[in-house]
Amino acid sequence: MEKNDPEKSGRNELKKNDVGSPTPRTPPNLSTIDEKSHRDHPQLQPQQTGDHIITTLSNVDDSCFSDQDHNIDQVSQDIDQFTDRLTTVDHKSNPPQVPDVVETFSKIVESRIAKYYSGGQNRMKFTSKMTEEESFFLEAVRRMSKLINAFSEFQSSSGSGSTTNSSLNRTSMVLQKAMSFLEEELRALLEDSRTSLAHLEGLCTKQSSFNSMRDDSDRCAFPPSELRRDEEGDYPAYSPEVVTKMSRIAAAMISAGYESESCQVYSIARRNAFVEALKNLEFDKISVDDVQKMQWEALEGEIAKWIKVVKHCATVLFPAERKLCEEVFSGNPSTSRSLFTNLARAVVVRFLDFAEAIALTRRSAEKLFKFLDMYETLRDLSSAIAQDDSGHDLKSEISAASDRIGEAAVNIFCDLENSIESDVAKNPVPGGAVHPLTRYVMNYLKYACEYKDTLEQIFQQNKKVEQQSVTTEEEEGGLAISSPFSVQLIAVMNLLDENLEAKSNLYKDPSLRDVFLMNNGRYILQKIKGSTEIHQLIGDTWCRRRSSELRQYHKNYQRETWGKVLQCLKHEGLQVNGKVCKAVLKERFKNFNTMFDEIHKTQATWVMSDEQLQSELRVSVTAVVIPAYRSFLGRFRQYLDSGRSAEKYIKYQAEDIETLIEELFDGNPTSMDGILL
Amino acid sequence: MPSTDYQGVSASFSNFGRSILSIRRDQVHSMENTHEATRQEFELETFQRQVADRFNGLLPVGSDELLSLSWVRKLLDVFLCCQEEFRVIMFNNKEYMNRTPMDRLMSEFSERSVKALDVCNAIRDGIEQIRQWKKQLEIVLCALDNQRSLGEGQFRRAKKALIDLEIGMLDEKESNASLAHRNRSFGRNNVQKDHKSLGHFRSLSWSVSRAWSAARQLQAIGNNLAAPRGNEIIATNGLAVAVFTMSSVLLFVMWALVAAIPCQDRGLQTHFYIPRQFTWAAPILSLHERILEESKKRDRRNACGLLKEIHQIEKCARRMNELADSIQFPLTEEKEGDVRQRVQELVEVFKAVKDGLDPLERQLFCVLVFGPWYISFMLQSRLLSVVSIFGFWLLTEY
Repeated sequence: MEKNDPEKSGRNELKKNDVGSPTPRTPPNLSTIDEKSHRDHPQLQPQQTGDHIITTLSNVDDSCFSDQDHNIDQVSQDIDQFTDRLTTVDHKSNPPQVPDVVETFSKIVESRIAKYYSGGQNRMKFTSKMTEEESFFLEAVRRMSKLINAFSEFQSSSGSGSTTNSSLNRTSMVLQKAMSFLEEELRALLEDSRTSLAHLEGLCTKQSSFNSMRDDSDRCAFPPSELRRDEEGDYPAYSPEVVTKMSRIAAAMISAGYESESCQVYSIARRNAFVEALKNLEFDKISVDDVQKMQWEALEGEIAKWIKVVKHCATVLFPAERKLCEEVFSGNPSTSRSLFTNLARAVVVRFLDFAEAIALTRRSAEKLFKFLDMYETLRDLSSAIAQDDSGHDLKSEISAASDRIGEAAVNIFCDLENSIESDVAKNPVPGGAVHPLTRYVMNYLKYACEYKDTLEQIFQQNKKVEQQSVTTEEEEGGLAISSPFSVQLIAVMNLLDENLEAKSNLYKDPSLRDVFLMNNGRYILQKIKGSTEIHQLIGDTWCRRRSSELRQYHKNYQRETWGKVLQCLKHEGLQVNGKVCKAVLKERFKNFNTMFDEIHKTQATWVMSDEQLQSELRVSVTAVVIPAYRSFLGRFRQYLDSGRSAEKYIKYQAEDIETLIEELFDGNPTSMDGILL
Repeated sequence: MPSTDYQGVSASFSNFGRSILSIRRDQVHSMENTHEATRQEFELETFQRQVADRFNGLLPVGSDELLSLSWVRKLLDVFLCCQEEFRVIMFNNKEYMNRTPMDRLMSEFSERSVKALDVCNAIRDGIEQIRQWKKQLEIVLCALDNQRSLGEGQFRRAKKALIDLEIGMLDEKESNASLAHRNRSFGRNNVQKDHKSLGHFRSLSWSVSRAWSAARQLQAIGNNLAAPRGNEIIATNGLAVAVFTMSSVLLFVMWALVAAIPCQDRGLQTHFYIPRQFTWAAPILSLHERILEESKKRDRRNACGLLKEIHQIEKCARRMNELADSIQFPLTEEKEGDVRQRVQELVEVFKAVKDGLDPLERQLFCVLVFGPWYISFMLQSRLLSVVSIFGFWLLTEY
């Protein structure tokens, strides 16, 4: 394997340290091979602290292993040769004699393990780089498993007691021990090297895994500067050295057939770490049952928290986990993929539980926006996980949950129709002002349309709405292409129109009715123009039609209110036999004054919430009334007696009328008694 | 005449299963739409019969098959079928849903369904736990199965996995103290380590909060679950019977799941009050009794789940453990034969678990996804009230 090359070259340097190194003085018998036995060995028990460690280690070497002439490089070479020979043999029925070097090799590895357990030499220190010693160990383990694999190709010749087997048995034992050791090592790296400053104190006193084998004073050996904070952007907080080390260990374990163990250790450790990360984000478990019982205000808070957590997972935690997986199991992409997917799945399933529970809560209008937020969050989550092919099941689970949320959102939105239909008022709004329903619906729509794309998507997916769209589209006729959502939106708008039409009939005064319709229509149009999204969805045709309706109300109003007034100012009908009849003229002036006063009195209380519309209306009234009045006045004033009579009948100058017209639609409450319903 | 009708009801109430529908027939016949009535009647009668048939179909199993993975899957199939049929009935009778007492019955039923969802979530965690055990089995097999030669190394590897398995299978109630006494001579260095790895395995269940209890949840599902009274049956045109049937099926299935699969605070004390007159009462009550008996067996009393495969895993692991302890190297031919036999047992359990868990989880997913149908059904049948609209903050301009 390519990867091993650097290790092989590194081996040469090992020479000077390792010459004549470890072979147990007394060959251990099988019953004491247990790792424990080394610990129980009195001379191996490290009681020294700090600086003494190194000296102790050399003592361990001296006391434990005889200075046999085992050149470690030579041994390794011999093992490789034997392995090669095994693999090239054609007939795998009769295994060749196992050379002594196998035994020696086993002993060397075993003594290394023993040394590690007994508080050995540069034990994989979390923050430091992989030592040559460690590299050698991993390489030796690899060599050993290769040998065993090659040997197991041979038919076991009835197992019992052949020397071949016993010596290989020994080797496989040592390999098992090495694996067991590496497994613990991996776990320790996963669990303990993920250090944050906050946890430093706890870590120093905590007796954890293999570290407890070492002297405790050695425990706080990590300078704080080398520690990484377990914070956003720095998740999962392993130093590159540790990651490399984990990756090397995992590779060694997998190549020896211990993939299950390495995956198990990895997945459990990462899962626990993830749970902790979620805990730090204050994500709690809430049962479906509890969600149903919660008040909406409280739920809103939970939803906000949920969104925050899910987003954090999609953008930070999951990518970090995926990257870590890929790095640690770099040689085994399929393993890393399934490890990541399993972790993601365990987490996501919890998120989905909450989403499903929320979707089941009683529907109400104000929930729409939170539902849409959740829908969008799930959509992002799904695409964050989509990279992994094996995440197929998970994706479908996410989409099942978001479908449910989407369906609930569609239902809420469609409920708007019911709400409008069932909003039957008995009393009209004073002054013909904008009805609360209009405000409510339009603001609701405007807000909803900020989620335009999402709503379009959801409605597209929802078949139930499609059926409706057919009928509505026929009504609309003009709309060539309309999305299900815009169809629904137009349906809502039309329903609102109908409802307002019905409400307008509550006004006895037809002018006020027109003012009411103008006010509401104007409000609706302004809202649509104020929101690009609604405008796009509703379309220009609809807006144009609406505008011309508004103009019609305006005309109606003028005719209704001012038509009679203008009748008084008509020049016709005043002359009897070619002479202006004073009595009729006086009557006209009187009528005009009364009518105008009455109109002023009532319509000053009317409301025109839109300033522009208000001034347009005043201008248009002025434009018809003032010229007519001026001309009437100019022509007929002379016929009235001067002085008192003129004053009596000519109550207003044209300028006065203009001023008074400016007071119309002020919503002036001083003459509330004049409100005409 | 209302008085005679009522008498008719109370008289035939004693002869429940058969007569509920005929009472209704009398009721309905006085009305005009006889045709419609017969269709609905047929539907309800079929439902009763199908539920009974389905549960009768679950009965003929030996005690070695009862609560096996494949049986639990059959049970869930039965549940899903019943649920679907129930759904169709409710859908066809939408117009009754907003009438009393049907509205109340349905709202109670949807509450039960919501509670059942929590049970399913907990069960899903239990499945995940079994999956962890499966991984340990996998390691044991990796060590011992298909090996040309069985050396001590392999045995140690297997043994280590078996110990982890044992720890994983310990019921949470068992204290850590008792753990310390367990034989942990292999692959571990000290007691500290044991506790650590214990925590290592434990935190896998996380769908439900610490305080959640399956036993209490079952109790809550079963709360106030009683056979409908005669007047209720009449007022709902017999639909009340279907609701009661489905509620009972729901309760029983959730109870059986909790019995079989590990989950937080299991407890099987839930009582079933089902009048024997219902045709489906007999098979359900009989299954209930058999499962209860099973739970009282001496070797199952402290089990973390009554699932047959769990029992087999325990049994095989224990035997394998004992065998591994008794082995001397080099292996005698006889011992080697024993080992292969034990391995074969493990292979079988492993296969059963491997093949059964995923489909079971998928079924559970179906329950979780399609189950809440009732609830949304209930919600849909309610119109949004106008009052809620005007209390809404959006009224204010922004």
